Amino acid sequence: MEFTLSEEQEMLRTMARDFLENECPKTHVREMMEDEVGFSRELWKKMADVGWLGLVFPEEYGGSGMNFRDLTILCEEMGRAVLPGPFLQTVLLVGMPILTAGTEEQKKEYLPKIASGDMVCTLAVLEEDGDFWPDGIQLKAIQRGNDYIINGTKLFVNNARGVDYILVAARTKRAVEPGDGITLFLVDMTEWGTYVSPLATMDQTRQQFEVMFNQVAVPSSNIIGELHKGWPVLKEAALKATAALCAEMVGGGEWVLETTVNYAKERIAFGVPIGSFQVIKHKCADMFSGLEYSRSLMEWAAESIKDDDRDAAMAVSMAKSYCGDTYKMVCDHGVQIHGGIGFTWDHDMHLYFKRARSSDTAFGDAFYHRELLAKAADQ
Amino acid sequence: MTSDNLEALRREVRDWLRANLPKGWGTPEYVPPTRYSRESHELGKEWTKKMYDAGYTGFNYPKEYGGIERPREEITVIHEEMARTGTPGGPLSLGLLVAAPAILVHGEEWQKKRFIPKILSGEESWCEGFSEPDAGSDLANVQTTAVRDGDDWIVNGQKVWTSMWEFADWGLLVAKTEPDAPRHRNLSYFLFDTTTPGFSRRPLRQMSGEAEFGEMFFDDMRVPHKNMMDEQGRGWYVAMTALMAERSFGGTGFTGGMAAMGGLGTSDLLGTNSLVELAKNTRRYGQSVWEESAFRQRIMQTAIEMEAMRWSGARLAAKMRKGGQIGNEASLLKNFQAEMRQRRGDLTCEILGAYSQMVRGSTRAIDEGDHVYNMLRARGATIEMGTSEINRNIIAERILGLPR
Repeated sequence: MEFTLSEEQEMLRTMARDFLENECPKTHVREMMEDEVGFSRELWKKMADVGWLGLVFPEEYGGSGMNFRDLTILCEEMGRAVLPGPFLQTVLLVGMPILTAGTEEQKKEYLPKIASGDMVCTLAVLEEDGDFWPDGIQLKAIQRGNDYIINGTKLFVNNARGVDYILVAARTKRAVEPGDGITLFLVDMTEWGTYVSPLATMDQTRQQFEVMFNQVAVPSSNIIGELHKGWPVLKEAALKATAALCAEMVGGGEWVLETTVNYAKERIAFGVPIGSFQVIKHKCADMFSGLEYSRSLMEWAAESIKDDDRDAAMAVSMAKSYCGDTYKMVCDHGVQIHGGIGFTWDHDMHLYFKRARSSDTAFGDAFYHRELLAKAADQ
Repeated sequence: MTSDNLEALRREVRDWLRANLPKGWGTPEYVPPTRYSRESHELGKEWTKKMYDAGYTGFNYPKEYGGIERPREEITVIHEEMARTGTPGGPLSLGLLVAAPAILVHGEEWQKKRFIPKILSGEESWCEGFSEPDAGSDLANVQTTAVRDGDDWIVNGQKVWTSMWEFADWGLLVAKTEPDAPRHRNLSYFLFDTTTPGFSRRPLRQMSGEAEFGEMFFDDMRVPHKNMMDEQGRGWYVAMTALMAERSFGGTGFTGGMAAMGGLGTSDLLGTNSLVELAKNTRRYGQSVWEESAFRQRIMQTAIEMEAMRWSGARLAAKMRKGGQIGNEASLLKNFQAEMRQRRGDLTCEILGAYSQMVRGSTRAIDEGDHVYNMLRARGATIEMGTSEINRNIIAERILGLPR
């Protein structure tokens, strides 16, 4: 495993940071928080033009064949900019299942469109219980001729408004093992019978929706992977998305640290910069070391996925749990050190504070991942 | 370096270990000497000399100072083979850890030639005199004095918390030589022979019950002027080099020899396996502790933190391969390692419940009372080699640039 960045990777980072500073300043983020779609298709197209949407897809499908670690460098920068929009969803949670489990026709049909920015996607898995696990998937799809008819409701669907396709995890058969009998359907949002309504959630930088499917007919050619065997595909995609989310969290945390340290150097209280007080210094030191260790775990997880290492699942669980806890701690300290101004709506600190919370719950929180690790140690 | 050559070296090291490790090593019959005993010191000395003569230690120093120069791949093979069997370790000395790095950077040519080879071969042992009763975190407040008298300096004062104090042949010493100079410019650094008249030492018993540390007393002890290291008045800077070397070991020692700090391995859940086993095998209130979610969570948190440390070590190693130096990151690793050690110590004792109280000597003690010993000893971890507070200041001021 290589823990230093190559020259190309350094360039990718610099380019990404410059791009997002220009295209996604906080004024844009705040505009999107109020927007009913929640992200900009115009910005999306620009991201496609600089090659981000097809970064990890093979060249034959319109991508540029770069590796997973390269992608996480972009994700760090997106987290730093609190970029709104279903990037992880489109590329990793929908694109990757198509690439790894789709048919040749599906790959040729969809991946170039994703890469060119013309096809924006999201994933619908969670239902009423709010947990990312197969038992929670109760929405049914029943075969009728060449179609499957989907009925039911999905919750916590990122950016469901404004996407072209939703990959829906549906139950297609009763099975003893909850992971069995789940099928992935790529649902065209122009079809009749899909109803999208916003969920009023605290993190508006990444809007979530309730999606109701009422007798939606999906052709069986839109099944991604094998019938009844969708869960392992989903799990694999979620592993990648979780590692990428860790990169986002580290990137966001680093913005909070830098902003807070700068504030502590400038803010005067009792006649001196507050950063000269040891209580403030020690909080900043804890933020810094938490982020350093988060980065180590995150890079390990990313490298493990890149190398298809057998420890990848363990690395991702460790990284997710630690990055989640740390990002929250870093934002807690960030708000506290800023004092009153950090508690206002106008200051940007709460954007990160809320991102930290929504990211921690996504794909299983710290508690869940520690329990996963404990289960692995049971054997 | 071909892989055939490396494999040949691997076999050579294996054969050598088989022939040279103490009798019964690695079997239940082998009884290791008591911690910090003369027997343990002598064993370490003998072992280091054997390794040095065989060319298996003494790396990273130039040949003219007794260093053994070998390609990196060979050193890795040697370390891997040593790690595989475990070895008796070195003498009770801060020579390799502190004295040699400080002398290499600040010493005069004759000092490097005279002292470093015997540190590498384990023949001479060292201790360092930094802390005093009134100078701990505020190290610059050293009160021990050295007054010039002809070709000598006459030293008076006291040092505390001296590691490896008992069998040291030589000592490192910071003393005030310019009482009127400003802080950080009033100290000088000396190398002294512990057989010098006027020097005495005695044990300092710590809360775990043993005397891992000592106190040193200087009563008109004479040190030749040529034994001063670096220039007069620059003692603070030499001390900082020595401390940094020590601290980076405190944090990064795990890459080379985690064994020294509690037998932590390098595979799967990194030594948390023993914690899992302990929890599985401990029954409390009618069920195994491992069934209890609160314990499962904390044990896994320990596993995560240990991996975080391992990969941070790997990142630092990668940085060094690219030509970077370990600087203030040492504070980061040292704190994390020390605080983790405390959490682990507490967790282990909480798993054991009432039995955690039993110390070595009780027939009912679990694992010879090692867990309670580790828990108690770990309280020192956040105090020695720079307290956690001092290290946080270093991170905040020198890495993050917050005002002093």
